[in-house]
Amino acid sequence: MKTVVQYMAVLWIVAGLMGCGVEQGGRPYQDLTYPELRDVALPAVQRVTLPNGMRLLLLEDHELPLVEMSCRMRVGSIYEPADKTGLAEIMGEVMRTGGTESRTGDDLDELLEMNAASVECGINLDSGYASASSLKEDVDLVLGVLADVLMHPAFPEDKLQLARMQYHSVIARRNDSAGDIASREFKKLIYGADSVYAREMEHATLDAITCEDLKTFHSRFYGPNRMILGVWGDFDSKEMVKKIADAFAGWTPVTQTLPEVKTVQYDYPSTVNLVEKTDINQSNIYLGHIGGRMDDPDYFALVVMNRILGGGFTGRLFKNVRARAGLAYSVFGRYSANYDYPGLMFVGCQTQSGSTVKAIRGMVHELEQMVTEKATPEELAIAKESYLNTFVFNFDTTEEVVSRLMTYDYYGYPEDFLQKTKQAVEQVSVDDVFRAAKKHLHPDEVQILVVGRSEDFDESLSALGPEVRALDITIPGPDS
Amino acid sequence: MMRFRLRILECLVIVVLCSPLGTAQDLAAFEAKVTEFSLDNGLMFIVLERHEAPVVTCLTMADVGSVDEARGRTGLAHLFEHMAFKGTRSIGTRDYRAEKVVLAEQDRVFEALRLARAQPVPDANRVADLESQFQALEQESQSLLVHDEFDEVMQRQGGHGLNASTSFDQTTYFVSLPSNKLELWMSMESDRFLEPVLREFYKEKNVVMEERRMRVESEPVGRLLEEFQAMCYLAHPYGTQIVGYMSDLEALSRSDGEAFFTQFYCPSNLTVAIVGDVDPAQVKAMAQTYFGRIPSGPKPAPVHTTEPEQLAQRTVVLEDMAQPLVLIGYHKGSILHPDDAVFDAITDILGEGRTSRLYRALVRDSQVAMYASAFPGLAGDKYPGLFVFYAYPAQGQTNEDCLKAIDAEITRLKETLVAPEELKKAKTRARGDLIRSLASNEGLAQRLALFQSVTGDWRTLFKQLEAIDRVTAEDIQRVAQETFVATHRTVGMIKTAQVN
Repeated sequence: MKTVVQYMAVLWIVAGLMGCGVEQGGRPYQDLTYPELRDVALPAVQRVTLPNGMRLLLLEDHELPLVEMSCRMRVGSIYEPADKTGLAEIMGEVMRTGGTESRTGDDLDELLEMNAASVECGINLDSGYASASSLKEDVDLVLGVLADVLMHPAFPEDKLQLARMQYHSVIARRNDSAGDIASREFKKLIYGADSVYAREMEHATLDAITCEDLKTFHSRFYGPNRMILGVWGDFDSKEMVKKIADAFAGWTPVTQTLPEVKTVQYDYPSTVNLVEKTDINQSNIYLGHIGGRMDDPDYFALVVMNRILGGGFTGRLFKNVRARAGLAYSVFGRYSANYDYPGLMFVGCQTQSGSTVKAIRGMVHELEQMVTEKATPEELAIAKESYLNTFVFNFDTTEEVVSRLMTYDYYGYPEDFLQKTKQAVEQVSVDDVFRAAKKHLHPDEVQILVVGRSEDFDESLSALGPEVRALDITIPGPDS
Repeated sequence: MMRFRLRILECLVIVVLCSPLGTAQDLAAFEAKVTEFSLDNGLMFIVLERHEAPVVTCLTMADVGSVDEARGRTGLAHLFEHMAFKGTRSIGTRDYRAEKVVLAEQDRVFEALRLARAQPVPDANRVADLESQFQALEQESQSLLVHDEFDEVMQRQGGHGLNASTSFDQTTYFVSLPSNKLELWMSMESDRFLEPVLREFYKEKNVVMEERRMRVESEPVGRLLEEFQAMCYLAHPYGTQIVGYMSDLEALSRSDGEAFFTQFYCPSNLTVAIVGDVDPAQVKAMAQTYFGRIPSGPKPAPVHTTEPEQLAQRTVVLEDMAQPLVLIGYHKGSILHPDDAVFDAITDILGEGRTSRLYRALVRDSQVAMYASAFPGLAGDKYPGLFVFYAYPAQGQTNEDCLKAIDAEITRLKETLVAPEELKKAKTRARGDLIRSLASNEGLAQRLALFQSVTGDWRTLFKQLEAIDRVTAEDIQRVAQETFVATHRTVGMIKTAQVN
């Protein structure tokens, strides 16, 4: 058997004979030219509004014998009362597990799983969803279950009890992982612990939720006029519209107005916060402030700025904090924007306890650089070209195309918002990025959060600000 | 890397990732769209045409993973994967000739430093002197680099999802591109497996050490898995962690990385899968031009260590600040074992969805667990692994409550035949899973390469269905009786420590 050294010798000789190799065997990337990318055959999404107000988006795709459905409902945990925090999430769960007025949840499980199909529901912060997936010939069965679950959920006590057990367990486990603690507590720092955008389900709020609450919450928000249904896959659109109209026939529109939601107030405090966790040798760090909305005119420049700051392997954070300094495996950051409430501006990483303050300084430095010096033309080019050259991946599955249009529709954005973004990104200049960064980034007004073992830090966190606040993350008992 | 996570999405919402059945014709039609060819140097290509969108996924799978590391070199397979993004003799450098000299000098100083540190009583002055020499060379080499050129070129040209992963069995490099950029991938990818330069090696070791802290040392489930796998395997490398031990990482040198590349990255040990909007004839022509440059080499031998039969039940209890968790592992055969499909059926019946036996018994009915399931193949599939049951006890319930309930299900499986509907459901879902997987270029590339690499034939991907279709209730009972025996069992638990 050859030794490793002999193998290496063979390799180097062969490589040596070939010089750099590329002349004889292909071309280096600098010398390549590419054929024009063929046009994306943009499938036409059909839009239909049913008499009961339900909006449909349909897109046929006959490659595989599948039909997929997805709906958005105008509901969210932002509408639940504070003393019953978790109500929306539990309702979304029990709506499916609890079955309907005519079929138990266990029967639905059996029926769907026997056919390798699924129907699932849930409620997020500011939208509800339901999805259904089936083989083309089972579409009637699955559409029937989807409609039944949305229109006539039973909310039985036993499945509420099951969900309570599961969520009590989730609450009890929420301080096990440092990463979970860090992202949750950072959100609370920025939005406020009581904000609808950051508050947490507790043992007490969970115990306060009754079957009656689930029923009331459902009947208040769920109706055809509050719903968008997207369907894609192997079907005939005309037939499908009729099937859907029949499945949801007799469902009465909802008339109650949506509750007011308190808007986010933020006044850019500078704070330093510590969650002491003694069983880890690596700090979880987040720092930042409030972010913005996608309807801000600076959004497009910020898309480009995000790529320069934290985009993939080529952003400054990855290059400087990870690749050059070796301070972290995971480092990330961006100015995030949501559709209808402000996102977060955050930078974060995980670094060994002994380089905690060093890493924080490094990340703040990257933010400062964004507002004190213009990006280089090269950085701008990388950011823009990577955005524009990957644009085709917005259209490579029918699911993405339908889901995006549903999202724009739901939040009241123009249906060509993505194309508008592309056109705007093409025009973004170094000056645009600099101006947007100076306006939206506040490196000297950040809130810093560390989850870590402070006795091992390289320096005391007090080096970063006059006061280090110790955050108490003790999980309140059921009586508090 | 295998991780259990306590995310509500993964633990509570039981996403039924299965879908409809395809007919045999659907699958045959799909199989017919696959072309395969091998280059003279032994490099195998699998090409699947899908023209739905002008995009293509390109994936290289090296049949090398952490199992192939020598003792004392743990973490090297994964560290090499990181290094494969650092460029080549022509990518990532301003002057390779000058750089080569500096890198060699740095390696020499590192070796001296490693020896100096390893002395019974290290000479502090010598260590300090070598460290400063080492830092000076690090500085010098940095000035010769074109930082991150490989990543930048790929991203700039439209690389989407550029990444790589290391498992116990394989190392996989992948990216999706607009389909007109196929030649870019051919040029860049062939270059990195022709003449990679392991630059910034010593910096990247720090990154990987942070990865170890993140995945293993600062994460309760990671801590348990390290103890559990070490307990399950006395001899086979499935008993270590992919990321490696800290002391091994500290000691690894750039020449270790180069030797590893030479031994394991020869064309006979690589499989390429290309899925998307491509012309197979053009792929073949480009593959010959670009990948044909790589010199051939003998395929490395597989791991010869076989885990000795376990003679006694083992238990490991980790006292930790986290909430309880229990795992039960039983030794089983590899993916090549004739009973592999039987384990797929058992996994479905015990652990998939809300109708599964473990969910119904532990979660829905007795409510001792917030979630419970089972899966085959810890830590890998290529060599004999473990079938694992696990449960996250409900608040106020104990690991022992869950163990008792899981044991009752194991006994039931051994003593009573599964119902015909349960078996039928498992077979239906296997078909559904396969059809669903055909919708993604990335997933297809991954699975084609994996089956080629592990079983020697990508068609096994489609033959799996025939294998599971042949499974009988009697097979399940027999395999359960053979596998789930007390002396082949290891129990691992997190027990909540009371102190802070």
